[in-house]
Amino acid sequence: MSDSARASIFARIRHSGSGASAAEIAAAREALGRAPAANLPGSDLCSSFLANVLLNRGTVDVVGNRSEAVTAVGKYIYQHYRTHRLVAGNDPRLAAMPWRDAGVLPRFGELEAGETVALSYARLGVAEIGAVVTFTGKANPAANNLLPENHIVVVDVADLVPDMEMAWSRIAHAMTTEQRPRGINFIAGPSSTGDIEGKLVYGAHGPRHWHVILLGEVPQAALGEAQAIAAPAATTGELD
Amino acid sequence: MQQYSDTFLDNASAALADKDKADVRDAMALFTPLVRNAAMDQFQHFEELRQHVKQVRQHSLDNLGHYLESYEQQAVKNGNQVHFANTGDELNSIVLDICQQHSARRIAKGKSMITEETGLNAFLERANLDVMETDLGEYIIQEAGETPSHIVGPALHKSAAEIRQLFLDRHDLGERELETTEDLVSEAREVLREHFLNAQVGIIGANALIAENGYSMLVTNEGNGDLCANLPPVLIICTSVDRILPRAEDATAMLRLLVRSATGQAQTCYTSFYSGPRREQDIDGPMETHIVLLDNRRSDILASDYREMLQCIRCGACLNHCPIFASVGGHAYGWVYPGPMGSVLTPLLTSLEQSQALPNACTSCGRCAEVCPADIPLPDLLRDLRHAEIEEKIAAPRWRQGLRIHAWLARQPRLYQLFTGMGIALLHLLGRKRGSFSKLPLASGWTSQRDFPSPQGRTFMQQYKAERKHRE
Repeated sequence: MSDSARASIFARIRHSGSGASAAEIAAAREALGRAPAANLPGSDLCSSFLANVLLNRGTVDVVGNRSEAVTAVGKYIYQHYRTHRLVAGNDPRLAAMPWRDAGVLPRFGELEAGETVALSYARLGVAEIGAVVTFTGKANPAANNLLPENHIVVVDVADLVPDMEMAWSRIAHAMTTEQRPRGINFIAGPSSTGDIEGKLVYGAHGPRHWHVILLGEVPQAALGEAQAIAAPAATTGELD
Repeated sequence: MQQYSDTFLDNASAALADKDKADVRDAMALFTPLVRNAAMDQFQHFEELRQHVKQVRQHSLDNLGHYLESYEQQAVKNGNQVHFANTGDELNSIVLDICQQHSARRIAKGKSMITEETGLNAFLERANLDVMETDLGEYIIQEAGETPSHIVGPALHKSAAEIRQLFLDRHDLGERELETTEDLVSEAREVLREHFLNAQVGIIGANALIAENGYSMLVTNEGNGDLCANLPPVLIICTSVDRILPRAEDATAMLRLLVRSATGQAQTCYTSFYSGPRREQDIDGPMETHIVLLDNRRSDILASDYREMLQCIRCGACLNHCPIFASVGGHAYGWVYPGPMGSVLTPLLTSLEQSQALPNACTSCGRCAEVCPADIPLPDLLRDLRHAEIEEKIAAPRWRQGLRIHAWLARQPRLYQLFTGMGIALLHLLGRKRGSFSKLPLASGWTSQRDFPSPQGRTFMQQYKAERKHRE
């Protein structure tokens, strides 16, 4: 059934096509250029990224090095869950962190029932949309993004990009040396729904909380600027 | 899905008579344009982006054969099995075959308008499969035995109180309050999570298919589609052939318009791109992935004068801005796609005979075309469909006769002015005393709802000529 369906669908589509060659089509697409992106809200990449994460109802921490990152994670999970445990993917960057210094006890692997906090190391952060980007795989099984109560994501300042076009260019570059990942996930907020009377509620199916830790040389004023940008919008509602 | 568009006028009357539901619709009609407009104002480059995305969509459709083939090659290279379906029935059979090959019993489904179009759930249920919708809105209407009233928020016609009662009736969870919306969401989360973890097949739709790398884009706020895509051992993506875009960046450019137009957000929570089954080193993900590409007359639309309709990105903005949709609600349209986009698509995907009333359910106010992120001239397409109803003799004979007479008369200016002058003078004489008519021959459609004011005596052309003479 499918083979003959394929043939007849292609025949009908080709019948009303332009008949241009592959090279002509590529040139025509190239001529259309690129789309305008949203303006960045802050004065630099860090403040813009942080502001948009806050606008997406995430919470943020800014740390200068890996030791501070570990401390920030430890403090965060202790404050929220009175625990030192979390689950993290088999990401070499996470494995290399000095967890003992902060008394954090990570388990490396896929999130299992009963585990409430997962930690990911993002491949990218996209300032335009306040999103972190993860690839599925051993380093970050999908369940770790989707099933915990609380998802903590570390992202390097060096991995921040201004917009989605730059994100794709970095992803395409990564694919020249590694296999295409099964899934590429842009995550921009805790899971939410507006399906009941348009009222936005968090924790629909996935995480109820989303905490982003920006690691590296972040300009001193960036966090304050981001908070000032996000503050007035914090009370407005949205619809799913 | 069962179609009942042929009773649109009765459906609309029934909807208007339900005061509570009409209030819910009014509230949504006030709220949704506000959030959309705020998001576009914030974005600042709406028109520039809309023209860019429109050109990319048109370019993709102009070269759909090329891009579809390239997508198919890449998707196969990524490890998928790609299937083609001419009709909804074919899609349903392909999906059922896959489920049966795996002896699957439980299916977890993400939101997909394509499978609403083909009536997949009912088809699978007839084969004794346990199909559960996992988008909260879709889940609510599935439990209530209803159909979507809106392409983005399928259960927005229901009040929280109704949903509370539904959950109390349907979930065997003992005594509980369920007072707040948060309580309702939490309960659905628990009930559905169990289903995700035990489903053998996940079925989702796609917002875009990317020709250059074979990935498909999935946009959600809940993350339910991602759970369907990642947890069950088999994944089936059901979508249509017109979703193809050349490049990954084209999909995210479209996303900028889609999210703002649909929900007024700047970004959805989860935007995911899936390439295929789990890789050799992976520890998670489906073992097998299928892509089912539906045509269902889209290739005919591509060859027709309604081609621009295929630029639609399914954001629902035209629904939210349509005075008819706001008044009668999505169910009155009697099929999957309501509002202005549905009034164009339904006749094209089903038949103009069955959906004759839909192109007439339009005041030509133009709000839909103003906000459409794909810049589709919806009022023009609706007018063309009305024209086709006359040409194809689908409209009622009396109506066609009337229009024919009017058209002939309108082309004879002197005769037209003579007749209208006489008619207006007569109506003026008859209605002078009362000031209006409660009944008029040939105008019962007007007078059944409201009085017709009696004219002041002279036509516009008579007054215009008199004025010009006076000035000379």
